[in-house]
Amino acid sequence: MTRTTEMLTVEDSGVLYTLREVCERGGCHAELVIKMVSYGIVEPAPGAGGEEGQQWAFDLPSLLRIQKAIRLQRDLNINLPGLAMSLDLLDEMDTMRREISCLRQRLAQFSSGAGEE
Amino acid sequence: MDFKDYYAVLGVSESASPEEIKKAYRKLARKYHPDVSKEDDADAKFKDVGEAYEVLKDPEKRAEYDQLRKYGARPDGSFEPPPGWQSASGFGGGGYTEADARQFSDFFEEIFGGGHRGGFAGGGFHRNMRMRGEDVHARLALFLEEVFDGCEKQVSFTVHDVDDHGRVVPRQKTLKVKIPAGMREGQHLRLKGQGSPGMGGGEAGDLLLEIELAPHPTFAVEGRDVLVTVPVAPWEAALGATVTVPTVGSKVNVKVPKGSTSGRRLRLKGKGFPGQHPGDQIVILQIAMPEVHSQEAEALYQQLAEAEKNFNPRSKLHV
Repeated sequence: MTRTTEMLTVEDSGVLYTLREVCERGGCHAELVIKMVSYGIVEPAPGAGGEEGQQWAFDLPSLLRIQKAIRLQRDLNINLPGLAMSLDLLDEMDTMRREISCLRQRLAQFSSGAGEE
Repeated sequence: MDFKDYYAVLGVSESASPEEIKKAYRKLARKYHPDVSKEDDADAKFKDVGEAYEVLKDPEKRAEYDQLRKYGARPDGSFEPPPGWQSASGFGGGGYTEADARQFSDFFEEIFGGGHRGGFAGGGFHRNMRMRGEDVHARLALFLEEVFDGCEKQVSFTVHDVDDHGRVVPRQKTLKVKIPAGMREGQHLRLKGQGSPGMGGGEAGDLLLEIELAPHPTFAVEGRDVLVTVPVAPWEAALGATVTVPTVGSKVNVKVPKGSTSGRRLRLKGKGFPGQHPGDQIVILQIAMPEVHSQEAEALYQQLAEAEKNFNPRSKLHV
């Protein structure tokens, strides 16, 4: 069934999630998120809480990263150090993919100006 | 219904050992994991691989499947299970893959489902359980112009309802969304409460829209900056000129400094991505030549060659 509602506007781009909300949305225990923080997989938003995990808040990219980490752990059976490295490598690959696509576009624009030999 | 050749999905032979099957599965799961692979159909392939492994890893299911494969498959690739077919092994979920039966195909359901299809979280459904609906992820490809100015877009995605029996029912949902100006590729928009509905009074999940940028014929994007290659005539570069340059959605006059060379970058402040800290547009000059010269122009080039004879454009090549 398709249903179209009125126009929706995005208002909460700076939304923060509490540790509890992150766990609920990730389907995981707080311990796992605390471990992810200690492995540097995610960082709580600055200013919200200190050592105490209960006061932590995470932004949307952090929540998405935690969810991705949970999927990778579940599907590929990766431990935490492996997850930390995989996510860093995936980020790096993403950056490189973007760079390649930018360079390809520039090259195409450059050669279309110069003609082909 | 199409017959699914699980051996082909995993790329193993019918006589493959459990160890070979596990190895093939692990390799393909890594390759097609939707968080790793950028292939368009990675999601579907990952599900196929998981489904194939779910059957072939289990000796009982594998034996049943082998039997069906022998008798049930038709030459045209379609499939009907034999009349009265009922799986003895059923499907309990769990195991190494912690597979979720909701993800599997009709073919799988026909053979091993036994009416369990979509039982919430592998059968542990409680009518009174209060649970938040799942977040739904979707991608939205936009043109550079749309990203710059913001736009209104129609987005279609699938949410999962849970019916009174705990069955998960997919539903297509369409929304009109106002995209704010200045979004960047890979950024997410959250639409609160637009994901799958919750259960037992739990709140609905969110829709998370990931922004993608469609390739642009004129512009390239680098961080917050927009790059454009602009051809100029040799005399414009040598003498300086004012040339018209396209910007995203408009155009602007740019002064090419006297004595510019090919590849020179001119920065147009604030003409890049809009936002609190707007990016710049970077104009890269490219010297373009007419394809044919008049006799008059050739004579002028002769003069130029004489006047500039000490210039070696290949000095960097040491020749």
